[in-house]
Amino acid sequence: MKKLYIIIAIGFFVGSFSMCHKADVFPDNGYDERLSGGAATVFDVSSKAFTNMIEGLDGRNAIVHEMGDAAFERTFVAPPSPVFTGLGPIFNNISCVNCHRNDGEGIPTAGFSNSGLLMRISQPGTDTHGGPLAIPGFGAQIQDQSVFGAKPEANIDISYTDVQVTYPDGSVTVLRKPTYTLKNPYIPLTTGYMLSPRLAPPLVGMGLLEKVTESTILSFVDADDKNDDGITGKANYVYNPYTKQTEIGRFGLKANTSTLAVQIATAYQQDMGVTSYVQTEESAFGQEQLNIVTGDVQPELPDTILNHVIFYVKTLAVPARRNVTDENIKQGALLFNQVNCSGCHRPTMQTGVDITLSQISSQRIHPYTDLLLHDMGDGLADSRPDYLATGREWRTQPLWGIGLLQKTTGTPYYLHDGRARTAEEAILWHDGEAKKSKEQFMQLSKAERDKVLNFLQSL
Amino acid sequence: MKKNIFIISAITGIIFMGCHKASTTPGSVDFVTLEQSVINDFVNNVAIGQYSKLTDAAVSLNGAITTLNSTTTDANLLVTQTAWKNIRHVWEQCEGFLIGPVEANDYDPNIDTWPTDYTQMDSLLASSNDLELADIQSLPQSLRGFHPIEYIIFGENGARKANELDARKKQYLVSLAADLLYNNVQPLYQSWTAAPVNYGETVLKAGNGSNEYATRLDFFLDVVGENGMSGICGEVGSGKMKEPFDSKDPKLCESPYSGNTSIDFRDNIIGLQSVYLGLSGGKGLKDLVAAKNKNLDNQIQRQITAAINSFSNITDPFEKAIIDQRVQVQQTMSQLETLQSLLENDLTVFLQENMKD
Repeated sequence: MKKLYIIIAIGFFVGSFSMCHKADVFPDNGYDERLSGGAATVFDVSSKAFTNMIEGLDGRNAIVHEMGDAAFERTFVAPPSPVFTGLGPIFNNISCVNCHRNDGEGIPTAGFSNSGLLMRISQPGTDTHGGPLAIPGFGAQIQDQSVFGAKPEANIDISYTDVQVTYPDGSVTVLRKPTYTLKNPYIPLTTGYMLSPRLAPPLVGMGLLEKVTESTILSFVDADDKNDDGITGKANYVYNPYTKQTEIGRFGLKANTSTLAVQIATAYQQDMGVTSYVQTEESAFGQEQLNIVTGDVQPELPDTILNHVIFYVKTLAVPARRNVTDENIKQGALLFNQVNCSGCHRPTMQTGVDITLSQISSQRIHPYTDLLLHDMGDGLADSRPDYLATGREWRTQPLWGIGLLQKTTGTPYYLHDGRARTAEEAILWHDGEAKKSKEQFMQLSKAERDKVLNFLQSL
Repeated sequence: MKKNIFIISAITGIIFMGCHKASTTPGSVDFVTLEQSVINDFVNNVAIGQYSKLTDAAVSLNGAITTLNSTTTDANLLVTQTAWKNIRHVWEQCEGFLIGPVEANDYDPNIDTWPTDYTQMDSLLASSNDLELADIQSLPQSLRGFHPIEYIIFGENGARKANELDARKKQYLVSLAADLLYNNVQPLYQSWTAAPVNYGETVLKAGNGSNEYATRLDFFLDVVGENGMSGICGEVGSGKMKEPFDSKDPKLCESPYSGNTSIDFRDNIIGLQSVYLGLSGGKGLKDLVAAKNKNLDNQIQRQITAAINSFSNITDPFEKAIIDQRVQVQQTMSQLETLQSLLENDLTVFLQENMKD
């Protein structure tokens, strides 16, 4: 009898503890908050801050990373060529780094050698997989450069008009509102098409974000807005052309890509006209100018090189935060949470298991994203659906590394098309689900707003 | 017994006091003054000095090509080839410090993108498209800069004759040289010396209101790191040399038409050496290192010299050496690897430990 009591008592004891357990990340104390990428963090504040290999890769992995690095910087040339062949016939740029400057973001111009902005295009309706419906002769992306003999699909004209925003305290900030126009299409282009500008984003922490589990991402969804903060969030589900499956979207500014492999292979294919085993068709497929270059061998990118580049991007380290003990910045972090920026820009989560790379496996990370789609209002809307993303929805942009953009790019640009020249302008563009947060930010005093901005600079 | 303990502790105390030197504590006044004069001399003698030489070399090349265009003789072709080799000499040395506008404003990729796209170049030359400066400057980077010029003036096997230079080749050449000089080399020099960029000023103000370098340490880490000395060391040793070496593929070599590849590599390391030693009698990083750790300074100087000298063992053109002189190429790559590790580990740690501003 006594035994039974003891067993029951122990049972209660254990049971009461297990009630406390929530499948969530551990509390903050005891962790070094500078480690934005967990074990995949690097301490570097130079212009090369985004280009570091994660610490502790063993010999073979380090070599593959280095080879991927070299390939990432490689300039492609028109076929036939003994080396780095396969550019075009139509393209947006000639190497990965020309857009992802120092593995960071691009410059929001189009058609120049240092341009990092491109234009997606489609017509109303969806393709067989629920994705954007391509336009015959143009596909789903405008390639605005071409090899000799071919013609760019079109040129992109970008102009800005000023929009003034006045804070309740009377201070004024001027935003620039972009207008995008297609010029000189190589064949007639019927009206009714939808355009979406995309600026090359920084590569920070993509290996870690790929490891955030689907259940973690879905746990951030609040479809019925039960907590009444105006934020719902939605996961994108997209077609993977390699696995031929529908998968949760993580990458791309509308979360329209599920894996690093597809993201990178599609960039080679669409942005440079380089085919691979993942994306086998030329971006000019279906166009008359497809066969302007001869002597081409498919796929143009050797399998090993694509694999090296995928591994390279996966094993890039996340720069550590700076000045975390600065009182102003600590207060900025509190304000950031108070006005509920953190409702979408989620500070902390845990990656899932990666059996090959301990540095990105089960890491406590601070990406400041929920990887979900949110309605961002009319001002930012591209009015071009992308799988489940509507024309008003964008994926929450991760904020890690945002304070280093000045160093890595020279001039920092923010938002999906680089229209914002400062983080403050970017905040003021927020609307839709982020409207409440933006308004609360605007209600803060100038000193408090500066604290939030200083906090962002520390990321 | 107690007495003994007292004596031992007293002696220990004295020993430790003996280690203390007021003159070498981190951040001491002399060292700070030295840091600033190294920065001053780097800006004026190394960066601005080298970019000024680069401008002179680009003027010479532009002049040689203008002459070659009007009087197309083998003698003038030779003058042009020499001018090309000379500017490469200076440029490759400038690659010892790829900090600031040279990358931020794309001057490097505009003038030194590799490989050249000779499929497109041949198509362009065979076409009737305009080849004025305005047309050239909007071409992809793989059709601009040093290597397309090299391709035209040296020919595929370095056997170019003046009578092979037709009107279109010459027009392309004239525009390429102008693009090099007016769109890139001159603006690069100006970006270090004049508004609006005035990067020289930015560096001089490191740790003192510079918007790029919050501390002097930030600057030194930049010039020793990925953008500077160890970056170029790695690019030569584990990139430009290793890739063609591993695949035994001469087509992967940098300056194949002129046979200049090994010279390019050696000049890169000489450029790194100039940053370390300083130029024109000015101070360099060596002075900072020697002030506190003469042994490390000796090690670095010796290793830089060993790496530069090892290139003279590669007697064949690099395109051939990767097949015939693999031992010698391997030895140079090993020297560069040792050097890179010294810079990345020892020198970087030295700076971090000794610079508190």
